[in-house]
Amino acid sequence: MKINRRVENVWHLIFIITILIMILPVIYAIGMSFKPLHDAYNNVLNIIPIHATLENYITLFDTLPIFRITWNTFIVATVATIFKLITAFLAAYAFVYFSFKGKEILYFLLIGTIFIPFTVTMIPNYLIISNLGMLDNVWGVILPQLADAVGIFLIRQSMKNIPLSLIEVARLDNMSHGRIMKDIVLPLVRPAITSVGIWFFISTWNEFVWPVLILKTTENFTLPLALQMFISSEGGTNFTVAMAVSVITMIIPLILYLSFQKYIIGTFTSSGIK
Amino acid sequence: MKEIKFENVRKVYGDTEVVKDLNFTVREGERLILLGPSGCGKSTILRMIAGLEEITSGNLYMNGQRVNDTPSGKRNVSMVFQNYALYPHMTVKQNIMYALKVKKIEKKEIERRFDFVLEMLQLRGYENRLPKQLSGGQRQRVALARATVNRSDFFLLDEPLSNLDAQLRVSARKELMKIHEMFGQTIVYVTHDQIEATTFADRIVLMYNGELQMIDTPDNVYHRPANVFTAKFIGSPPTNILNIEYDHGAVRIGSQSFLLNEIWKDYVNQTGTNKLLFGIRPEHIELSPVSAQKGVRGQVKYIENQGNNYGVYINVEGQEIIAMSESKNWTDGQDVYVCPVMEKIHFFDKDTERNIGYPQGLEMKDGITYSNERKVNV
Repeated sequence: MKINRRVENVWHLIFIITILIMILPVIYAIGMSFKPLHDAYNNVLNIIPIHATLENYITLFDTLPIFRITWNTFIVATVATIFKLITAFLAAYAFVYFSFKGKEILYFLLIGTIFIPFTVTMIPNYLIISNLGMLDNVWGVILPQLADAVGIFLIRQSMKNIPLSLIEVARLDNMSHGRIMKDIVLPLVRPAITSVGIWFFISTWNEFVWPVLILKTTENFTLPLALQMFISSEGGTNFTVAMAVSVITMIIPLILYLSFQKYIIGTFTSSGIK
Repeated sequence: MKEIKFENVRKVYGDTEVVKDLNFTVREGERLILLGPSGCGKSTILRMIAGLEEITSGNLYMNGQRVNDTPSGKRNVSMVFQNYALYPHMTVKQNIMYALKVKKIEKKEIERRFDFVLEMLQLRGYENRLPKQLSGGQRQRVALARATVNRSDFFLLDEPLSNLDAQLRVSARKELMKIHEMFGQTIVYVTHDQIEATTFADRIVLMYNGELQMIDTPDNVYHRPANVFTAKFIGSPPTNILNIEYDHGAVRIGSQSFLLNEIWKDYVNQTGTNKLLFGIRPEHIELSPVSAQKGVRGQVKYIENQGNNYGVYINVEGQEIIAMSESKNWTDGQDVYVCPVMEKIHFFDKDTERNIGYPQGLEMKDGITYSNERKVNV
């Protein structure tokens, strides 16, 4: 028992250190966003600002249509996430429960796309979006992101864990595929869909390279592009304002995570397939 | 006509033929058990009836209609799976009612059926529980309830009791009987447990290696086994199958022999073969410590306690014979005389391993008459 207690304490210490390492920059950024610029340079190690000020936020709201930019980011992340989830769910369902010719090859090709670096598809995608006249438009950012092989892979894995007999019982009761999906498969893969969804949302929310290629005017920017404006060589580096953008960039995913957290834990504990 | 008919049905997976040329009929309202060791194709047959498995060739008829291409949902079939297949996210009530709701059955009728089945299977008080909050026996009853409320003509059960302990099995079997008496569905039931089979079945289909070995009543399967496999598979310990030489009424085992009675002698002589295997069940052997004319001598190898009886393993001229004895007063190495009960012996053709049949007028001590036909495929 004694040894166990000690081992436990060591683990706790490791966890605390890990959490500190991860959370410190975030707290530092929040602190910085409330400091005047000279303070940021002079009292670098002070996490809590000595002369707390809102001036960074005021500058930010004065120079950028930040509500509009947040809205753009939200649209891109939400639409891409929803579509990725829908396409992934439907494709996974087909891969698990339908048998059709070329299924294995198709799946192999699909999984293969995961290993193609973004930089390879970047230029062809850009040309397509450009030809479609969707440059400098959030929908141009969204369009190539409506389906995702990783999502199909993860949701398929989760579906494969559902005992086939559940689907067979439903088939014996003459249920349509739509009904089986909605009433049986969807509730049982909900934990997977939720976690994949959050991951999709956050990765799209934070995306930088692709939007920077497509979006030109500030009006159409997403938050990571706005952030970049304050640390570019042209605009002069204004760390404290950049930190204010960071804080705003953080807020929505954080709210989302906190509000879903209970739900995620809930679905994980209540799923218990067997 | 709630009948199921197999006509030359085959099922092939890749290169392996899991069901070979199957021909039999499940009669309306009967309880038919598909019995056999694992991998014999019995579950595949059940799944073909359910429409969950395609039929490679041949025809399957249900209600007189060819159903090879009819989807599962249109076959009027309910099925209970070995793992019960309860929807884990639905309560007992939702599990039982779900299909009825989807089929848009009147609400009052759904409630009526639900109440009825809840009472019958003693599930009251559990309506709002999730499957994971139930014991194995309760889950099994929920699965049974869900299959019952559909009021299907055909009721398929895939090893429904194999996850229950011995006592629960007995009560679950009674419940199944009750359901069958009440609704009279045609039941096809898969099991590898012969006790389950003989206690529940009207008729048993015995499968081995994808081939039908025998289809008949439990009594006939036990007393009139169609072939060596059937004789060995049914009964525990299995039937003794001995290599013998037959010579005009004398059955020779090694250097010893015993004489058949007149009825058997005439019968075997008339079949004209003498390449035979001799079969006798352990429970149909009389053991005697003193020399007996109707028997052969052997040595006791060891004794096995079977609970109600003792299994005595005996070496007779290099062949092993198991006999049941109420006494355990046998010592290893002791000489013992093995006397088969003449009314209960079997002969099989050495080449085909098929039963050669039974003479007319065999006097049965239990007063039951068995069919004397040689049944392999019906």
